[in-house]
Amino acid sequence: MSDPDEELELQALQRQLDDAFETTRPRTGFEDELWLRMQSSRAAPSRLRDALSGFFQVIREVPAVPAAAVAALLVVVIGVGVVALSGVGRSGPTGGASTAGSANLSAPDAGQLYAGNFGRVPTPVFNNGAKSSSSTQPATAQAAAGYPGPVQLTWTGKFDLTISTALVFRYKEPSTNDADQFASALGAVLRTRGDGFLGSYQASDYTLKVRGTVQTPPSSPAYFIFSSLSMPPVEAAGATQQDLADIFLAQHSLQPQWSYTVAIDSSSDPVKVRYQRQFQAPGYGAAYLVDVNGERYGLEVDLSANRPVLASGPLPVSIDAADYKIVSSNDAIRAALAFSSPAQSAPATPIPSVQLNQAELVYVLVPAGNHSFYEPAFMFSGKFQANNQTYVQRILVPAVDPSQRAP
Amino acid sequence: MLADRPPFEDMYREYLGRIYAYVRAQVGGSADAEDITAQVFMNAYQAYARFETRNTTPAAWLFRIARNATLDHFRAQGRRDRLRRTIERQPLAEEDPAHQAEERIQYRALMTKVAQLPERQREAISLRHSGLSFDEVGGLLGCSEDAAKMLYHRALKALREVAQKEGV
Repeated sequence: MSDPDEELELQALQRQLDDAFETTRPRTGFEDELWLRMQSSRAAPSRLRDALSGFFQVIREVPAVPAAAVAALLVVVIGVGVVALSGVGRSGPTGGASTAGSANLSAPDAGQLYAGNFGRVPTPVFNNGAKSSSSTQPATAQAAAGYPGPVQLTWTGKFDLTISTALVFRYKEPSTNDADQFASALGAVLRTRGDGFLGSYQASDYTLKVRGTVQTPPSSPAYFIFSSLSMPPVEAAGATQQDLADIFLAQHSLQPQWSYTVAIDSSSDPVKVRYQRQFQAPGYGAAYLVDVNGERYGLEVDLSANRPVLASGPLPVSIDAADYKIVSSNDAIRAALAFSSPAQSAPATPIPSVQLNQAELVYVLVPAGNHSFYEPAFMFSGKFQANNQTYVQRILVPAVDPSQRAP
Repeated sequence: MLADRPPFEDMYREYLGRIYAYVRAQVGGSADAEDITAQVFMNAYQAYARFETRNTTPAAWLFRIARNATLDHFRAQGRRDRLRRTIERQPLAEEDPAHQAEERIQYRALMTKVAQLPERQREAISLRHSGLSFDEVGGLLGCSEDAAKMLYHRALKALREVAQKEGV
């Protein structure tokens, strides 16, 4: 260091290094994403990577498995041609939209209908095979690996369906303009597009991302609000978790404008407040929106110590509605039972017998390109014992008459 | 002491950028730097209950985690690279010219040069310019404060030579 020039050069290099280290920072949004990952992982560190990889399928955690577990087995059925094979539903006219309508999903229900006919609607595709589930289990129940083998199905319940038609809802795929308008109403400013999103937006204390319909697994157009570190907790003395979620949604004018029931998962941090969406089926009542596994979904607010960390819900879109002929309850039951495993003369292991004893009308999303549909379906369920565990088996079959569905 | 511990969120906010810059100088690429930084803070988050300020400063604690995570990364990458070369029987791929052009931006290029220094020199430069004292640098590198100073100055000269040679 005796050479003055060398000393000056080293000092200059040090200043450059100071500047370089001072200005080298991660990309915008990384801080919020990582913070969310950490908060979501607190109760389940082993699932950290899954949390980010499932970034926009929303984080849905499964509680740990206790010894006396009740497991859920979902056997969801591909309904293509099932009802047709059972020889039912052939008598109705083709293109059976007898009522048409237009409603906005922001309205509670599709009440005011206009004329319209969607023609043959696409046939929903459900998961075919056993999967585990937990969200509809009793609080003490836990998930285990789904029952892997074949089952024999019987129907022991009562299912008197008094309706012969049900509404099918159709919406046009939202555009970037739609996403921008939604974001603008929230006061968020566009930052980027791409990566599968219609837009990524920034507000003062959160990042907003808006996504269109996902084809596989089917998922509705949705928004995702990721709170930044400056997002304050919701302060309300004596408030329940649902109260806090309600307040947060009200603050951002995001309250559900559709029918719902609330389910709260407080088994881990963050607590998940789920607004399970319902469609009103005239003559039947409320029918839940379910995914391909039969899980109810809608809007979700995740709270960590009273602080909203994530909110995700369906992007409001305008929809039309039309009345479609549906299969009878007996035909639906037959279609469900058709998914019994074929009888075997000498099976290697005993095939469990499953008594399906519950049935309900539900709605499922059926993506179909520029327009997608919420279609009615029947969901049958029943519990059974196998391998010292209790499983819940669900079978979904399309409700729309086969003559009015595209093959 | 528990009462002396800052809220984790405050520490996260204060150190995220510095840890990222440190890691970035070690690995030379932003994607790897993000992955490692994420791992650093997740490890820190889970270990925070065991962190005691009487034993170390938050900076030294976090940079120790960062250093370990970076070394783990190099070990894993070394295994992957060796395996890949064995399978493909090919030498290491050359840098993408477009990527190289991007890296010519002055500070990025300088950080890249830091990443090319020998391990201990690289760490001395990175830790020092991440705001640690020579005492803390020495603590992390397992040497005295004076030895850390000497190591740093040798690293600085080495970096200057590389920079002059390549016109950074």
